[in-house]
Amino acid sequence: MTTATPTSATVSSDIRPPQAGNAHPMNRIWNAARLNLVNRWTVYWIPLMILGFIWLVNLAIWWIINASVGGADRTDAMDGTQWSGASFYIFVYMLVIAVQSMNMTFAYALGLSLTRREFYLGSSIAFVLLAFSYGVILTALSYLEEWTNGWGLGGHMFTSVYFGSGPAWQRLFIFGAAMLFFAFIGALSGTIFMRWRTNGLLIAAALTTLLIVGAVALITMTQSWGLVGEWFVTSGPQGVIAWTLLPTVLSGFAGYFILSRATPRG
Amino acid sequence: MTYNPAHHPDAVVRVRDLTKRFGKVTAVDGVTFDIRANTITGLLGRNGAGKTTVMQVLTGQEFATSGDAQVFGESPAENARVLSQISFIKESQRYPDDFQPKHVFESAPWFFENWDSDFAARLVSEFRLPVNRRIKKLSRGQLSAVGVIVGLASRAPLTFFDEPYLGLDAVSRQLFYDRLLEDYAEHPRTIVLSTHLIDEVSQLLEHVLVIDDGKIIIDEEAETLRGSATTVVGMRSAVESFVAGRSILSREGIGGLASVTVGALSADDRAQAARAGLELSPVSLQQLIVRRTHVTEKEFENQS
Amino acid sequence: MIDEARPIFVQIAEQIEDDIIAGSLAEESQVPSTNEFAAFYRINPATAGKGVNRLVDDGILYKKRGIGMFVAEGARARLIQARKDRFRDEFVRPLIAEAAKLGIDPDQLSDMISTEGVTA
Repeated sequence: MTTATPTSATVSSDIRPPQAGNAHPMNRIWNAARLNLVNRWTVYWIPLMILGFIWLVNLAIWWIINASVGGADRTDAMDGTQWSGASFYIFVYMLVIAVQSMNMTFAYALGLSLTRREFYLGSSIAFVLLAFSYGVILTALSYLEEWTNGWGLGGHMFTSVYFGSGPAWQRLFIFGAAMLFFAFIGALSGTIFMRWRTNGLLIAAALTTLLIVGAVALITMTQSWGLVGEWFVTSGPQGVIAWTLLPTVLSGFAGYFILSRATPRG
Repeated sequence: MTYNPAHHPDAVVRVRDLTKRFGKVTAVDGVTFDIRANTITGLLGRNGAGKTTVMQVLTGQEFATSGDAQVFGESPAENARVLSQISFIKESQRYPDDFQPKHVFESAPWFFENWDSDFAARLVSEFRLPVNRRIKKLSRGQLSAVGVIVGLASRAPLTFFDEPYLGLDAVSRQLFYDRLLEDYAEHPRTIVLSTHLIDEVSQLLEHVLVIDDGKIIIDEEAETLRGSATTVVGMRSAVESFVAGRSILSREGIGGLASVTVGALSADDRAQAARAGLELSPVSLQQLIVRRTHVTEKEFENQS
Repeated sequence: MIDEARPIFVQIAEQIEDDIIAGSLAEESQVPSTNEFAAFYRINPATAGKGVNRLVDDGILYKKRGIGMFVAEGARARLIQARKDRFRDEFVRPLIAEAAKLGIDPDQLSDMISTEGVTA
């Protein structure tokens, strides 16, 4: 034990924050990213387990179809599974992760003396990493589904029409960009809530609804539904997904500025 | 005890005329004070007096409405250089829903350069904290222990504890005080302790700030406050003639008996009081603050 | 152990003085560090330091650089003398003054004290 009294002259007259080693801006942002990934169960194991469960249920359904329907009807029925939305769950899960991050993890991050900007930039990195890793997993599963001829039953879960059947990089792009879209839409709604609470969310929802209704009205009045359908067909999944990058990036920027003045609850 | 804003050359916190409003509510109303480096300062006051808001501004969690708050010579708001030196433990801290204490102890060290993981591990076992249980399922006291451990083990140059031990039993609180004192002695740093359990912490404090209704009403060395007031009890007439001309902090009475709290008394005063058959009793820091903030003593008792 | 009425550093200084007078802190022996005092009495180390420094100023304790704090030679005798002086001022003088008021002469007073001493 030392005999130094804490009040003794250990205090320099120039009270400036010492430049800490781990206070390097990039380190802090990277650590903010890790903060979102620290619980592996939440970001990987649980969603993958649920995805596995959904896959099992689908497998059972395909088996029942195979067992009860014969001939051409069976081929028809199994072709129908390419419209399956069974894997959509994982995208919604991504949205929920982002909402939770901007709410709970945000409050925790400020408790650890991160700035809002560091937290948001770090979280964005985490979302990109998650989107990429899920993109890789889903792409791999789509190939597995092809090679096993629909898990031996002709079913479609990871090769449904929304994801296309292009080369690997295209599938990775579609899965990853879709993931990013849901992540940053979720993050944006999370930041709106943190900044303006429920009223902010209600107004944002009302504006979005107005925008969609307006677009629908415009398309209907100009009788352009044919054109819209044509656009979807000619653009293909990768073309449509490429367009989502615009709202994704806009949401990303908006979230940054909205959160930079937000205050956690409690 | 007239309030005079201190101007310390070694202040790590410098607050000038700081005001924070939430809508029409003024939570902090033009406060000015300093916090000296390497001291334990008590930020005391009743619930809702503005303590937490002051600390939230100093830690960049809230933005000031007007006035100036400087920490380590700079504004703390969105300032990584300042914030990386601060640990803020608050009673209302929220954690991600899926977190267990082990996730906290895994991630917190990334943000505190001086983090001592051996110390943290020791505290976890001393507080008997289950590290593999969901934080949502912890008891109030265990939740407080998580914060206390982060606050101590982070060894941040400026550490705020805001009601850090709600729900902790007396034994655990004593453990906190002991570890705080030991670690502070070996690793001097600036600590701000905000609590309503004033009697328990009064001996730990070097400086006392009392905030009431958004204003600083006491800004004084703890040792100066100690013994700065005395309660005189006795027959009403005798008490009244004794306290006449003195500064009176509070006055109570039942029937013919009166109890009046006055400022410090000299030895002669005490002798005079004894001759008049008056009883003198020292006023604790807690009682002093209760009398100065005009609230019932109940508010400062353990509400956990 | 520590009361509310007086500054803690004064009480800490008195505790150390008491230990020196009682002999539990011998002359030329090392006294606990400020931090040890702080931990033991559960008080702020700066406050404990103030109490110890007061005894250093009075010449009761002295510092050995890099080692710690020691009880000065002759400290016990000086403390006892100081306490005796204080005892005379605080107790004996008022006692005599009060006795004089009541018409008790010094012989009677001395008798009363020895009787009390026997029964006590």
